[in-house]
Amino acid sequence: MTIGEAPGPQIDTGRLLLRPPQRDDFDAWAAMMADGEHVRFIGGPQPPSVVWRGLMSMIGMWASEGFAMFSVIEKASGRWVGRVGPWSPHGWPGTEVGWSLARDACGRGYAFEAASAAMDWAFVTLGWGRVIHTIEPQNEASKAVARALGSTYIEEGRLPEPFHASPVEVWGQSREQWLARRGAQA
Amino acid sequence: MTDSPRLETERLILRVPQLGDFERYAALLADEEACRFIGGHMPRPAAWRRFLQMPGAWAVQGFAMFSVIEKSTGLWLGQLGPWQPDGWPGTEVGWALHRDAWGRGIAQEGAVAAIEWAFDALGWDEVIHCIDAGNTASQALARRLGSRVLRQTHMPAPYEHVVVDVWGQTRNEWRASRRGASA
Repeated sequence: MTIGEAPGPQIDTGRLLLRPPQRDDFDAWAAMMADGEHVRFIGGPQPPSVVWRGLMSMIGMWASEGFAMFSVIEKASGRWVGRVGPWSPHGWPGTEVGWSLARDACGRGYAFEAASAAMDWAFVTLGWGRVIHTIEPQNEASKAVARALGSTYIEEGRLPEPFHASPVEVWGQSREQWLARRGAQA
Repeated sequence: MTDSPRLETERLILRVPQLGDFERYAALLADEEACRFIGGHMPRPAAWRRFLQMPGAWAVQGFAMFSVIEKSTGLWLGQLGPWQPDGWPGTEVGWALHRDAWGRGIAQEGAVAAIEWAFDALGWDEVIHCIDAGNTASQALARRLGSRVLRQTHMPAPYEHVVVDVWGQTRNEWRASRRGASA
């Protein structure tokens, strides 16, 4: 293994490259998590020292379990624009494919493009039977992405500590639903 | 990882954390007394995220704390070693031991090997230990390792309300005292 990188796949989606997070992603990742208004639906702003720990946990999950969220790189510019992909830490209410994009990368369909590729990867490569998205009830933008992916509202849920204070909406779909829909598009 | 270090002492193996270590790690982090001075005890989901920081830091930095394995039993006894998260007040060699390891000199035996490794393999010039003013057990260990109080400091978030004593020593001090000890 090359120091500085987590092992794992690379997925080219057309405009975006999905790959495991690297140490070099830290500055852009920390900038997104410092944007308090923008990250209000994903736990609120964090100082860099806390973001670093989250990034290490993400890379640690790639290194030990073989999956976690991808860093999303905009191919045209080479810049880090967000993190998208499978996420299922202990106590999580299911096998999630989630997304968080930096403010200046929103509004271009990147979340949908990256999440579609991550859904394919989760269902096919990881063999997941179901994908969920845990969404803060006020987060209409994420619900729109979930809807575009073909997911529907399933139930009210709770995230594990330390995110357990308020309920989340659990959206999702089964592998059969996803594959049927992808097949219909082909 | 195939190129990850593995240190051996008389009674211990120090190696990179593995997923199979988590149950014991979660037990340590659920132990209120054992965690009083290392950020407080925490539930299993939070322990999982914290556990993964170590393999992540190993992957990107090439160092982080080791898992401490007792040779005779194969039991995970804790984690110790080099640790330098973002914003940390220096190059730490720290320790967090399960109560099964207490009172047997396990922390000292492992810390000596980890400090040697930090100075030799990582090329660190100084090793520090961030220790709460009430943590007499860790103070005693730091003293036995030859460290002394260098300064006081606030810790970075999420421990920003904690003030610790920064113990430590330079590589030259370590080398000099080791030569004296083995002579």
